Amino acid sequence: MLEALWIVISRMVIIFAVLGVLYLAIVILLKLVRPKAKKGEAK
Amino acid sequence: MDIYGSGLLGFLHLTWQSAGMLVIAGFLMWLGIAKKMEPVLLVPIGAGALLANIPLGGAAGNGGFLTVLREAGINTELFPLLIFIAIGAMIDFEPFLQRPYTIFLGGAAQFGIFATFFLAYLLGDGWLHILNFTLKDAAAIGTIGSADGPTTIYVSAILQTKYLAAIVVAAYSYMALVPIIQPPIIKAMCSKEERSVKMPVFAGATPQKVKILFPIVTIVVVGLISPMATPLIGCLMFGNLLRECGVTKSLSASAQNELANIVTILLGITVGGMMSGAEFLKAETILVFTLGIVAFALDTVSGVALGKLMYVLSGRKVNPMIGACGISAFPMSSRVVQKLGLEANPYNHLLMHAVGANTAGQIASVVAGGVMLMLVG
Repeated sequence: MLEALWIVISRMVIIFAVLGVLYLAIVILLKLVRPKAKKGEAK
Repeated sequence: MDIYGSGLLGFLHLTWQSAGMLVIAGFLMWLGIAKKMEPVLLVPIGAGALLANIPLGGAAGNGGFLTVLREAGINTELFPLLIFIAIGAMIDFEPFLQRPYTIFLGGAAQFGIFATFFLAYLLGDGWLHILNFTLKDAAAIGTIGSADGPTTIYVSAILQTKYLAAIVVAAYSYMALVPIIQPPIIKAMCSKEERSVKMPVFAGATPQKVKILFPIVTIVVVGLISPMATPLIGCLMFGNLLRECGVTKSLSASAQNELANIVTILLGITVGGMMSGAEFLKAETILVFTLGIVAFALDTVSGVALGKLMYVLSGRKVNPMIGACGISAFPMSSRVVQKLGLEANPYNHLLMHAVGANTAGQIASVVAGGVMLMLVG
């Protein structure tokens, strides 16, 4: 029973760890590939 | 030699189990055709069950075509992976990329998998020994809570559970029951004030470069941390890359149509072919179905619970109901939340937020499947 409880807790921790890293990767990706603001040409 | 030709008279060999399964096969086809519940799956599954339970028919016996399909597509885990390519090609991840925080709602909504695994294991070998559930059986049963048919099949096939047919039928049947399972739980957990919370609509489009890089980055990140999830996430994201890269439109169209339809037919009829009466009509099957509902319910509870935490932490800017979409039952749970949002406030359109959480749930359920395999398989 304790083994199963450990499996439940450890798996949820691992899932959030994987998704947390993926979240950071996506946030970084979004920052790196941000669309450039169009600048008006001043003459 | 059968000089009396009794081999021609299948009904003489009809057992109560095969008769019962013929009724169940008819019921599944009726649900699909008359009630339009997941028809693309329940009709082939019902047909497969019908063929498998005709006495002396041989469709699911040694060398029968359903057995060949099972060995080629389920035992090798090929069918669910091919389905994932099709699903990846169908999903637009933009609502998720506009709200990447919803990935955590997807994570929370996987709790049902593990809580159900725990319950099943306690009923079986873990403590009470009431049922013949081993650790691997319990893990496979829990995976019904991924609310994701291909992941359920993939994980259950690798775990080699003897309840594979029941688990797969439960997983696909409950997908259609999401509009019945989720609303009472959401209403019990969220007050009308919480359900009325309006969320801003994002107008900005996600850059195409992000959409192209997202599947590649996801494969690398998930694959490196949870390698057992690589085939699942790899096929899902490969399908999405075909969709988004802009230079493989014909492949994307084939994945979304021909591939999806062909594999769905083969998968459905093969799963149905696994429902032989002697294997399927057991007390454990009823328990598997009951635990499947528990898994879906607990997914919803845990998703909404994190949604409520986000509601508080964000200063009441996040509608907690979108947590229920963390399960990957796409797009049913998104529709449920949109409908409940409009009921609470006629101007409350939550659909894109809900879809964001729903697609995040798709990724999270694949990760959960891989994590389950990593530690139990």
